Amino acid sequence: MTEQFADLQARFYLNFIAEDRWRFIVNGLGVTLRVTFFALIMGLFLGFLVAIIRSTHDKTGKLKFFNVLCNVYLTVIRGTPVVVQLLILFFVVFPGGTSQILVAIVAFGINSGAYQAEIFRSGIMAVDNGQFEAGRSLGFNYLKTMFYIVLPQAVKNILPALGNEFIVLMKETSISGFIALQDLTRAGDIIRSRTFDAFMPLLAVALIYLVLVVILSSLIKLLERRLRSSDH
Amino acid sequence: MTTSRDVLIKVENLHKVFNGKLHALNGVSEEIYKGEVVVVVGPSGSGKSTFLRSLNLLEVPTSGRVVFKGVDILDKKNNIDAHRQHMGMVFQHFNLFPHMTILENITLAPMKLLKKSKDDAYDKAMKLLRLVGLEEKANNYPVQLSGGQKQRIAIIRSLAMDPEVMLFDEPTSALDPEMVGEVLELMRRLAHEGMTMVVVTHEMGFAKEVATRVIFMDEGEIKEQNTPEAFFAHPKEPRLQEFLSKIL
Repeated sequence: MTEQFADLQARFYLNFIAEDRWRFIVNGLGVTLRVTFFALIMGLFLGFLVAIIRSTHDKTGKLKFFNVLCNVYLTVIRGTPVVVQLLILFFVVFPGGTSQILVAIVAFGINSGAYQAEIFRSGIMAVDNGQFEAGRSLGFNYLKTMFYIVLPQAVKNILPALGNEFIVLMKETSISGFIALQDLTRAGDIIRSRTFDAFMPLLAVALIYLVLVVILSSLIKLLERRLRSSDH
Repeated sequence: MTTSRDVLIKVENLHKVFNGKLHALNGVSEEIYKGEVVVVVGPSGSGKSTFLRSLNLLEVPTSGRVVFKGVDILDKKNNIDAHRQHMGMVFQHFNLFPHMTILENITLAPMKLLKKSKDDAYDKAMKLLRLVGLEEKANNYPVQLSGGQKQRIAIIRSLAMDPEVMLFDEPTSALDPEMVGEVLELMRRLAHEGMTMVVVTHEMGFAKEVATRVIFMDEGEIKEQNTPEAFFAHPKEPRLQEFLSKIL
């Protein structure tokens, strides 16, 4: 028993303490968090914009041209693997060697935006049309009706789906290593390649992702509860 | 000088075709005068709701003219949103905003559209809430109210904009029978205070008692109209006679 414990201790030292290898993990975590955060913001912005255009088209028949653009965007992004999108952006669109982290943010932002757009749109379309008519009949124009009346209800309804997409996005950034970006996953892999021990670094990485996701989902739950104050 | 015969809303030859085949309105021309209480009745599918919803362009007519206070509101040059601020509308399903308190429901439009201060909007809202005896519900959410309470709130939400005309689209049809009275009572009071009202309803008692004019619609046309006394006592059209015999 003590023998096994001593062995684990030694492996822990080898993987994380020796040569300050824990720095890989900490720096990788920083990269993962930054990519996730900015991609999320970009995805929210893109998704929101696309959803407004698409649902305006659905409701009023206006914005035909932009609606076609949005449809192309959704089809291409949802129809191809995100790894391929990341590689294309890095090697084809920015072949000059732009900062990898920037490429990753843009790639994941564009990708997540497509999924968030459909989540937002489903939320908008699910709000009863009577709400829309009530807003318009009071004298609100289309956009104000959207912002004051429809969207607050839509956001409340889609929060679980949106939270799910945030979690997916965070875990998807683990493919950043494909463009040699040293994110959390890549950090664990680098340690593995140096110590020839797969167990410790990869399990540590998995554990950190798990903790991040748990924190993220409890934040979303908290927000859901606050928005639900009008339900009872 | 305004007289009691001032035309507030005038529609000319309204046609509405849904999906290229369903003719909901077949050339309706009508004038709504200031201070009138016009009750529109008719069988379902007669176009009465479409007619009402055309008055504030929630339903855009396929052809025809809608003139509100002398302005053609179908003309794209005229801002329909500004005109709608003067036309209150009450829906069958209330359409209160569920994510806002009662007070927020009432003060939203006056604050955002009329640029009233929070205090002014609040005072007016509380005055209206006292009028309908619901001031203790100010900070509740719509889900905590009964149907009749919701509809009374919906009515005063429109009144908070100081409209010149109120449009009612079957305001009591979604209510439990015991709640119909409280809503009709509020509408009756509005009528006595001189509010111009156009009401689509199945409440013949309300039509008899409160209406200044009753309109019968069928097949997308106005088939007959009269004072309530004559309308119910001496219907001329066979379709109206049949309609009244079924519901009275």
